Amino acid sequence: MGSSIFVQQLINGISLGGVYAVMAVGFGIVFNVLKFSNFSHGGVVAITAYAGYYLSRNLISDFWLALAATTLIGGLAGLLVERLVFRPIRIAGKPLTYFFVNSITVAMIVQQFFSAMWGAHYFSYPDFFERTAFNISGLIVSRTYLLMLVISAVVLIALTLFLRATKLGIAIRAASSDIYTPPLMGVNTDVVTGITFLIAGMLAGITGFFLGMTYTVTPFIGSMMIKGIIAAIIGGMGSLAGGVIAGILLGVVEALLIAEVGSSVTPIIIYLGIVLLLLVRPRGIAGKPYTVKA
Amino acid sequence: MELLRIEAISKNFGGVAAVADFSLSQDDAEISAIIGPNGAGKTTTFNLISGVQEVDKGQLHFAGTNITRFPSHKIQALGVSRTFQNIRLFDGLSVIDNVKIAYTSQLGYRVFDELLSTPRVRREEKLIEERAREQLSFLGLEAHAEQKPKNLAYGLRRRLELARALMSAPKLLLLDEPAAGLNPAEIRELMKTIEHIHRERKLSVIVVEHHMELVMNICSRIHVMDFGRKIAEGTPQEITRNEKVLQAYLGDMGEVC
Repeated sequence: MGSSIFVQQLINGISLGGVYAVMAVGFGIVFNVLKFSNFSHGGVVAITAYAGYYLSRNLISDFWLALAATTLIGGLAGLLVERLVFRPIRIAGKPLTYFFVNSITVAMIVQQFFSAMWGAHYFSYPDFFERTAFNISGLIVSRTYLLMLVISAVVLIALTLFLRATKLGIAIRAASSDIYTPPLMGVNTDVVTGITFLIAGMLAGITGFFLGMTYTVTPFIGSMMIKGIIAAIIGGMGSLAGGVIAGILLGVVEALLIAEVGSSVTPIIIYLGIVLLLLVRPRGIAGKPYTVKA
Repeated sequence: MELLRIEAISKNFGGVAAVADFSLSQDDAEISAIIGPNGAGKTTTFNLISGVQEVDKGQLHFAGTNITRFPSHKIQALGVSRTFQNIRLFDGLSVIDNVKIAYTSQLGYRVFDELLSTPRVRREEKLIEERAREQLSFLGLEAHAEQKPKNLAYGLRRRLELARALMSAPKLLLLDEPAAGLNPAEIRELMKTIEHIHRERKLSVIVVEHHMELVMNICSRIHVMDFGRKIAEGTPQEITRNEKVLQAYLGDMGEVC
């Protein structure tokens, strides 16, 4: 690998890693509060990938507006999923397995829905910009990748500030350490979990839009979610910052490996690496030891 | 004036009557205690008042509102705060954030304002910050504001629970075994603190406690529970002479003596 290709792949990797990081945080924030692996996140990603495609092809030609609208749709989809699927079982006090199974079911329903409706078609997003790449002293940087990087960074910083400083953010963090006590402090847990899913959905919206732009939109685009889940796990469940670090790391390793050994061998190496990493450090990069897992 | 009225509440757990026909009336400026042997139903009574569990029978009235089937967060918003027998602080949050959390009663009305961080929200956050610091300094915790609760000494963590309970400016404070795990010096300190809170914040306090010195010294009225029922009620002097109480605590030994 020449040094210019290396730097280029590094930049692409960081950008893609940014999207993985956004996925990991969307997945992780729900895990932190309700302590279950929310596979329905992939379903919301798929919904927004299609919605973003439809909007940008038919209604909104501006990149920023289309992204904002898709983010909003993602947020609403997240709210709806929480309301219809998770809230009833949470209020009934069902065990975590129910949440886990329901989340997979939601992802499957979404996937099958898109398969049945438009399974035979592959959709690709329009080119939002006339210039699709920049040439920075010999390095070709894709505009999409650069935007992905910048937007992911801004979103993650904004979310961090929100969680750290606002009272809603404090309520979400409090619910993450113990969901049974906040109501006694006057916190409405229904609102807090609703907001958590709203935020996760918005993050899924951003992810869906970027994945749609980077790849073609197929019913299986939601399964890209596995990268976000992996990032969340190797980052350490319970630590959003760990998920971000792991997401970027995953993106970089992936991009570099693809350039070196090709795209078919890369996943094998990565998955093997993850198995080994978790053997050595089961709690992930920054995670706390967890006893609850579902 | 009457603040809390409990009318013959009952709670069963799979056939075991944890609380049976329990009634109580609490004034808006008194400190009272619920005492009784282990398993008498004291903590369950607190859980029923604060809405953690629903009563099977009976009614609860607080400040003129029937709160019988209210969820916890609404009861808290009306002015009932509590602490826990086994300290329940949020380990992931700093000391000051642990206090701030209790000021979320109005949460949900302005969710989008909050997501967009409007000037009004920022003003409000500043107010919450000030109020939280006020509670911390009221209980002498200001030096620990940025620390994590698990790094505090046990006695300080009990204080932090108190600070959090006071944040929402409650009318009624429920203290579940506040002296548990404290040494005699800390218990005397705690008694002063409770009386200080009661005097300065003008609120009503109910303590569940085993430590008799504390109960006898600061409470004007005592309710005694045994097997979920109230077996006696009165001033500390009356209670120490009550035969039923002696029997519940000492068993038949009470009669022998």
